[in-house]
Amino acid sequence: MSAQLLQPAFADPVLDAQRGFRAALKALAGPGVIQTLHATPSLEGLAPATYALCLALLDVDTPLWLAPSFDTPLIRANLAFHCGCPLTAKREDARFALLAADDLLDLGGFDTGNDRYPDQSCTLLVQLPSLYGGAGLVWRGPGIESEHNVALPLAAGFWRERERRNEFPRGLDLFFTAGDDLIGLPRSTRIAEERA
Amino acid sequence: MQNPASHTERQHWIGVLARASRSELQPFEDALRDVEYRLIRAPEIGMTLVRGRMGGNGAPFNVGEMSVTRCVVRLADGRTGYSYLAGRDKVHAELAALADAHLQGVQQRHWLAEMITPLATVQAERRAQKEAETAATKVEFFTLVRGEN
Repeated sequence: MSAQLLQPAFADPVLDAQRGFRAALKALAGPGVIQTLHATPSLEGLAPATYALCLALLDVDTPLWLAPSFDTPLIRANLAFHCGCPLTAKREDARFALLAADDLLDLGGFDTGNDRYPDQSCTLLVQLPSLYGGAGLVWRGPGIESEHNVALPLAAGFWRERERRNEFPRGLDLFFTAGDDLIGLPRSTRIAEERA
Repeated sequence: MQNPASHTERQHWIGVLARASRSELQPFEDALRDVEYRLIRAPEIGMTLVRGRMGGNGAPFNVGEMSVTRCVVRLADGRTGYSYLAGRDKVHAELAALADAHLQGVQQRHWLAEMITPLATVQAERRAQKEAETAATKVEFFTLVRGEN
């Protein structure tokens, strides 16, 4: 039994989960705009925003795939206890996946939904050290009035990989988190190099 | 907690704590809370679906939903206490979880003698009384064979 590893989660489970859910909705509705969560708990290895998203979004119906860097007994025990979510080793079964920046070069296996139910795709939660400092890219698409400059510190290979997995309406939605902040990247957002 | 004997023991005391009423646990409240602890899962109320079998062996069916309160506490020394109980009494849930944590420690004997055994005795009496009352209302049905041929 992993009772020794358990830690308290949200101080106010109902309202904190609603705040997390609201932030996730806003992040996907306005791609590239940073949403900040306050007073969220953290767990060793998980940033507060990552943990808050997990606590708000995961439940018994959402199998979670953990990248090896997050697959610690502490994270396993606490997510299983507080979210009740099954943990899966098969990417195909996952409704949510928790990844780090290094895991983004191969997104093979994650469910991109189907033409009838594109919403059944796997949503990726990506924890980054920071949401700034990468190459500046121009984001366009639904939820962005004209264009948005976002400089996520990601390898160029990720953007090609995302393009490859994106066959609208099928595709992958992503959340990037760092500290208390998060940014949403829905499949509908188009990415272009920043013009000099 | 891992060996089967103490496992059934723990099931027994968790059951006794869940069936006790809040007023029966409150005399122990000061002693139970007289220790550093924190709430891993603050007392919360939820619903659970109760299923049953007619006569204990028929096909399972849904009896209905009932409210359940649960709580998990951790004492400063790492012992973790759980409680699940019927109803909506958060104080009861917290006390029962604390009692479960105390019962896993070195003072187990003390807590068993002071709290669990008397509570279990009272519950057994209550149950026996109720069963006696119910037995008195038992009706036997007879089917008479009608002489049709």
